[in-house]
Amino acid sequence: MNCNDCVEKFDRYVDRELNNTEVLELKLHLEGCPPCADQYEFQASLKRLVKVCCDKDTAPAAFREKLRQILL
Amino acid sequence: MAESPARTAFAEEALTHLDVLYRGALRLTRDPDQAQDLVQEAYLRALRYQHSYQPGTNMKAWLFAIMRNLFWDRFKGSRKEDVSLDDVGEFVLYDKLRDEGAKPEADVLDKLAASEVVEAVEKLPPLHREVVLLVDVEGFSYKDAAQTLGVPIGTVMSRLHRARQQLQRSLFDYAVESGIVHRNGTGQVPQP
Ligand SMILES: [Zn+2]
Repeated sequence: MNCNDCVEKFDRYVDRELNNTEVLELKLHLEGCPPCADQYEFQASLKRLVKVCCDKDTAPAAFREKLRQILL
Repeated sequence: MAESPARTAFAEEALTHLDVLYRGALRLTRDPDQAQDLVQEAYLRALRYQHSYQPGTNMKAWLFAIMRNLFWDRFKGSRKEDVSLDDVGEFVLYDKLRDEGAKPEADVLDKLAASEVVEAVEKLPPLHREVVLLVDVEGFSYKDAAQTLGVPIGTVMSRLHRARQQLQRSLFDYAVESGIVHRNGTGQVPQP
């Protein structure tokens, strides 16, 4: 696997959408290629950052109570 | 009103996904009141169409689909350019930061404020925003996201890819505006 093939798979790797063979190939390349490994770590951090920043919001308690009244 | 036990159990289970739905609605509408309206309507519709839910399948995805379909019903009539992203070309934040001499690149991410990241997500056109919400925020698989959105997996992947390009572009602009990164390679990420 060359660097282009590797980078091209980053989306699916961070999203856990690669099959086992693809994961093994990618890991093998990352172990021997610090620049790709560094870039992969960056992509993974970016995905974590989006999740952490966006999943803080929860439904307000009063709204939850209102829905319970309506639905239950 | 006396509800049947089956309906109550169904509603109880549906309500365990309230936070996911609310978050999604909040990001889609960008307004807490509208988000509550949307979610309430989605739950009422879900109960009305309870029979179309297959027990044992992904209820979270099913509910999210109802909510986003309602959102799109309301959103109809918007101009196409507000809905989708043009192909603006590849933008790789990592490469961009390296070009600007901001090292280490990951430090820039640590310095971005959460509110800036949320704003960058909310700035995405809704067609792309919803894919990011499902896959990145709620951790849906491509397959579940495709089912929720009613599109092929390939469409999920291309929308996601384009959304991420745009997101990285916005974050880079923020980093420059807020002085985290100095344009044209003035060197290191400033340390606190
Ligand atoms: Zn490489």
